[in-house]
Amino acid sequence: MGCFSNVKEWKSFRLVKSRAELKSTFSAKIQIHVEALEILLQGLCGVHRERLRIHEMCLKSGPNLGLVASEVRLLCDLEQPEPAWTVKHVGGAMRGAGAEQISVLVRTMVESKASKNVLRVFYALGYKLDHELLRVGFAFHFQRGAQITITVSSVNKMLKLHATDEAVPVTPGIQLVEVTAPASSENYTEVVAAMSSFCEYLAPLLHLSKPGVSTGVVPTAAAAAASLMSDGGGTTL
Amino acid sequence: MPVKWVLHWQPNAGTTVNSQILTEVSQCVEGINGVKEGRWKATLTFYRPMLREQANMAEFPRDFLGISLPEQPNKYYFVIRGQRLVLEADLTIQTIMERLQSYKARVALNFEGFQYQLGDFQLRVGKVVPNHAESLRGILMEVEYLPISSWDKSHQIMEEFFDIWQEALSKRSLPGHFVHIEPSFGEFGLSEQYTSQHTAIQYASIVAQMIATAQSAQSDVTRSLILPICLMEPSVTIQFASLIDGNLAC
Repeated sequence: MGCFSNVKEWKSFRLVKSRAELKSTFSAKIQIHVEALEILLQGLCGVHRERLRIHEMCLKSGPNLGLVASEVRLLCDLEQPEPAWTVKHVGGAMRGAGAEQISVLVRTMVESKASKNVLRVFYALGYKLDHELLRVGFAFHFQRGAQITITVSSVNKMLKLHATDEAVPVTPGIQLVEVTAPASSENYTEVVAAMSSFCEYLAPLLHLSKPGVSTGVVPTAAAAAASLMSDGGGTTL
Repeated sequence: MPVKWVLHWQPNAGTTVNSQILTEVSQCVEGINGVKEGRWKATLTFYRPMLREQANMAEFPRDFLGISLPEQPNKYYFVIRGQRLVLEADLTIQTIMERLQSYKARVALNFEGFQYQLGDFQLRVGKVVPNHAESLRGILMEVEYLPISSWDKSHQIMEEFFDIWQEALSKRSLPGHFVHIEPSFGEFGLSEQYTSQHTAIQYASIVAQMIATAQSAQSDVTRSLILPICLMEPSVTIQFASLIDGNLAC
């Protein structure tokens, strides 16, 4: 197994009721020793990992619907006793000189839990399935200066419609790592600092950068992973 | 959660609903020892598709409704009655619909009034008014039986209460009566265990019935010349029908 490349990071605003929240996201598409990363995260986060199995459906408006085309995502959490649905709208990225000066991409994000009929409802409203994915992996949710979530997952495609049991990796051996934290315009700087601080601990295994900027392979990754695997995380990286 | 019947006022032919009827209904509840508690409010919103070409309107649902209920302050309900679809979601689903810009909230109706406790029953009596107007468009009543959550098992006692209520109200000789529509919840994929989704469906059915009544009354006005003018308020009826018709047409 090799090391890492192509890290993406972005931040998004999530509007909940009348309150604006910032969601800072760092993500890395990496080819990693997943077990080593898990050991590292277990030590850093101090919480148990949660299994992740999310069926994500991306719907787009039909040709005549809306003055502009729109897109909505339906997420079905298959790890729950009963499949739990979430509707997610991701807005456009913030642009301009201010956006260029910060190290993250900013965009709005709104989520809503929904009952199991949600896919049929959006079909009835004129939305069509554009593509679907199955994300399988694990997540850690913890408090470290901010409420941070880190997910490590493989992205899988389904060979038949909605056939989650027959999904295959889009890029075999590649894992997606995302670090996110909700924030508001008032505490944005603190949240970014907390996330950056946390991500520093991942530096021996992962590098993070703005979307489109490749950082290349982390030279210490192999050795760091081997060390973590050999002593189960006792090594200080 | 407890079973609930949602009733709506059906005016006699040639009459329309008015605030005096609402007052009489409220007094009747208190007359049978209903204890006034507090206010309540529900809202129903008509959504219309935003289309680039109006000619394709038929492809999209004309009965897409959004409903907020006082007993679920953090939830929002969508009903597409013609396709037997009901959805329960968080309040943020409204923000998502705004962001998508594929459907726009048009007319909204408020259902508001007072709540009463009557033994194991909780009653709500309310007026139906458009969101930005004060004029009365209808009267609605909720009858909730707290001990039972099974729709099937509650039927007998709810029928008995309804009969008692109708009898008490009949003594006031009002120009109309309450009607209970029983939707086929199974067609919406719901079980007989009562939930707020059942309530949302009842509201959607009632509004559909009110629209049908208003349109029928409007037809009566334009067709019939022999109905006594003093029994009708055609301007109110036509305004309501137009309010809904205009909403359906746009």
